Amino acid sequence: MLIKLALRNIFRNRRRSAITLAVIVFGAVGIILFGGYKAVTFAGLRESTIRRIGHVQVFGAGSAKAESQKPLEYGLENAAALRQTIERDPRVRTTAAQITLMGLISNGDKSETYLATAVEPAKDREMRGHRLISGTELPDGELDAVLLGRGLATSMNVKPGDYVTLLTTTVTGSLNAMDARVAGTIATGVKEYDDRAVKMPIDGAQQLLQTHKIEKLLVFLNKTEDTAAVDETLRKNAAIETKSWSQLASFYHQVVLLYNGIFGFLGLIVFGTVVFSVANTIVMSIFERTREIGTLLAIGTTRGRVWRMFFLEGLLIGVIGGIIGIVAGVSLAQLINSGNVMLPPPPGYTTGYRLQILMQTQVLMTAFTIAVMTSTLSAILPALKASRMKIVDALGHI
Amino acid sequence: MKKLALILLLAAHVQADDATTLLTRSDTYRNPLASFAIDVELTSHDGAKAETSKFRVYGKGSDRSVVEFLAPAAEKGRFLLMLRDAMWIYMPSASRPIRISPLQRLMGQASNGDVARTSFSVDYLAKSAIEDGGAWVLELEAKDPSLSYKRVRLWIDRTTSEPLRAEFYVASGKLLKRAHYRKYGVMAGRRTITDIEIEDVLRPGRRTLMHYANLVARDNSDKMFTKDSLGKW
Amino acid sequence: MTTHNVVQLTAIEKAYRLGRINVQALSNVSLEVAGGDFIALAGPSGSGKTTLLNLIGCIDKPDHGRVLVDGVDVTAVPLHRLADTRREVLGFVFQTFNLIPVLTAWENVEVPLLMRGMPRKERSARVARWLEQVGLAAQAKQRPDQLSGGQRQRVAIARAMAGDPKLVIADEPTANLDSETGTRILDLLTDINRTSGCTFVFSTHDPALIARVARVVHIRDGRIMPSERSIAA
Repeated sequence: MLIKLALRNIFRNRRRSAITLAVIVFGAVGIILFGGYKAVTFAGLRESTIRRIGHVQVFGAGSAKAESQKPLEYGLENAAALRQTIERDPRVRTTAAQITLMGLISNGDKSETYLATAVEPAKDREMRGHRLISGTELPDGELDAVLLGRGLATSMNVKPGDYVTLLTTTVTGSLNAMDARVAGTIATGVKEYDDRAVKMPIDGAQQLLQTHKIEKLLVFLNKTEDTAAVDETLRKNAAIETKSWSQLASFYHQVVLLYNGIFGFLGLIVFGTVVFSVANTIVMSIFERTREIGTLLAIGTTRGRVWRMFFLEGLLIGVIGGIIGIVAGVSLAQLINSGNVMLPPPPGYTTGYRLQILMQTQVLMTAFTIAVMTSTLSAILPALKASRMKIVDALGHI
Repeated sequence: MKKLALILLLAAHVQADDATTLLTRSDTYRNPLASFAIDVELTSHDGAKAETSKFRVYGKGSDRSVVEFLAPAAEKGRFLLMLRDAMWIYMPSASRPIRISPLQRLMGQASNGDVARTSFSVDYLAKSAIEDGGAWVLELEAKDPSLSYKRVRLWIDRTTSEPLRAEFYVASGKLLKRAHYRKYGVMAGRRTITDIEIEDVLRPGRRTLMHYANLVARDNSDKMFTKDSLGKW
Repeated sequence: MTTHNVVQLTAIEKAYRLGRINVQALSNVSLEVAGGDFIALAGPSGSGKTTLLNLIGCIDKPDHGRVLVDGVDVTAVPLHRLADTRREVLGFVFQTFNLIPVLTAWENVEVPLLMRGMPRKERSARVARWLEQVGLAAQAKQRPDQLSGGQRQRVAIARAMAGDPKLVIADEPTANLDSETGTRILDLLTDINRTSGCTFVFSTHDPALIARVARVVHIRDGRIMPSERSIAA
């Protein structure tokens, strides 16, 4: 009965209710669209991060804590056997071996420090961690071809086809040097990295370092959702240590934090707007029905019931607005997804990308919940005031 | 003396153990003292530019030394502790000595330290000796894999076994440095090397001249060659 | 019909604050209303009759004095706790009808019964009966804005009576109606009073109503005047 009453009262003033509903719907749609955009962005960034660093990285036991004076002191021995075991897991797509090392690079006139990532050329190409600026990618089979970061190539004054010398210390602490052919120059989008970066074949690095060890194994899975489970399985091996992508992807987490902060702030603004709008509507409605409230109280309606009446109106407006909001949000999202709205290229990329909204049940539920919550909350205090009206004054109200 | 004469009279190609003897002999022209102090003046030439640094080096045996920086003013007060498997630098502005990784030894003055060593025979194995004109060419191989240069080729005078020059090779076989033993003098009553010129093969045009003087015997305590003592004495 | 008084007011004092001025609405008012009475409180505007009616109707409190409704002393009970009394014992008819605009005639009459938690069958029976009694059975599904003033007041009367109250409070029930409609309403009320034995207390300045009631209580400036007619049996 109260529900019937509440519904009829909501539609009593069509225009005012329509505006209030519009505000709620607007808020819900905003949450759905922004939430979906955020989700798409996160998913995209997450997958491109994982493509570069793998789902799980495997290191030698002790490498996280130890301070090694010598490179690869805690490296992985018997990498081949380890890889075979890991790749047997059906959740694993492939593995890639890597070593990072540093030293001096010289062109005969001057030397600079370099930071090298030694990779398996074919696997590295798949990972698409860099953009090729000139020359070619690392060829298979050539141990002493290298890729130089754009800034480093400039400072060394070399182009594809030129030679450089890489110096470093071996795993025993002895010095070693290697002449290398510059196969190409690359850019990663991070200038500080490109000023020092070298990419080289892993067997070349092993020769330079005088070792058969590798530093780490990048494990790529078929499904990102399997990460935690696979990580746990791998950790059972006492000879190795693992890090999941989440532990390594600080940039991703920073972006997530930033976006969540921004959208949280926007959400707060939306929240505030809806609260004020609904509260205003209810307050006006109460004002207009003062005599009616007085009458109800006079003929024996309890205060609690009066409060419930208005509270219910707030709740129902929220529910109706929430439902319309979800329908509108989903429709709009589908419209956008099928359209061709282009966004400008993010930092480090050259081409823009199509705007896509990801529909997630969670986001829809959040939008609905917020719509209902805000409306309900805004109704509480006005409803309380209504229930406590002085009957005599209310009855005498115009 | 007699043994040396015998060796010299034998066939040109000499066996390892004899090469060892030659090496040991050549080492005697380096610092003869077990516990000592010596002044070092180092001039770096990079094309037309030249920079001079002055140090006082305190050593004990062939594998421990402390380098005290005297000039230029910017470097005065610094100390470098060089041990067999580690190196530390102490700067007056810092509260603690800083360990230098083998990688960092690639750069700066530390790289010269590996080349201007006081002895080869302790750290290197003489594999063979070949005659080459008026000199013996000794092939040396590092006994310890942690040594900077895996191989050294040393030319010594055929008669006196005075070191003439040396070539320093890394693990891949690449030649990185050349040392020329330019001048000899008398220090602590013996004929010793006083001037060395070091060539950076990777960067032609870069030369380092090291001049030794004032070699005196000094009773250096073992405690001096610990990182905690750096800068405190 | 019992002879116990449905309403008993003793030495009532009530004042209002209008800005900084204290207006004495009622001074030393005492009143007894027996069951079945059909009483009018008569007086000009500002005489205090509405205030008196409000006190009887348990929607206001006196400053001093005692109020007994249906034998219960309600003086000290806070107004919001008297909702039960208003629901079970009293019925209200207002000058401005005060129906709920979004509800039909039927639903308006149903409201007090719903609040008592009455089961559906009984509710339906009562609503039907009273709508019939006030002659609006055909208009059951219509909303107040589709009814005339007289019809609305009848719905209000049906609403007031649906719960079989002991006492009905009517504040100027005919003031917003034309004389003919007003007369008809009066007839209805008289009828109900006679057949159900329900007590009626009106406040009015309508001489037609005053002529129809069994007993008139004149009020002027917050005091009860001695009346010309005596209390009827």
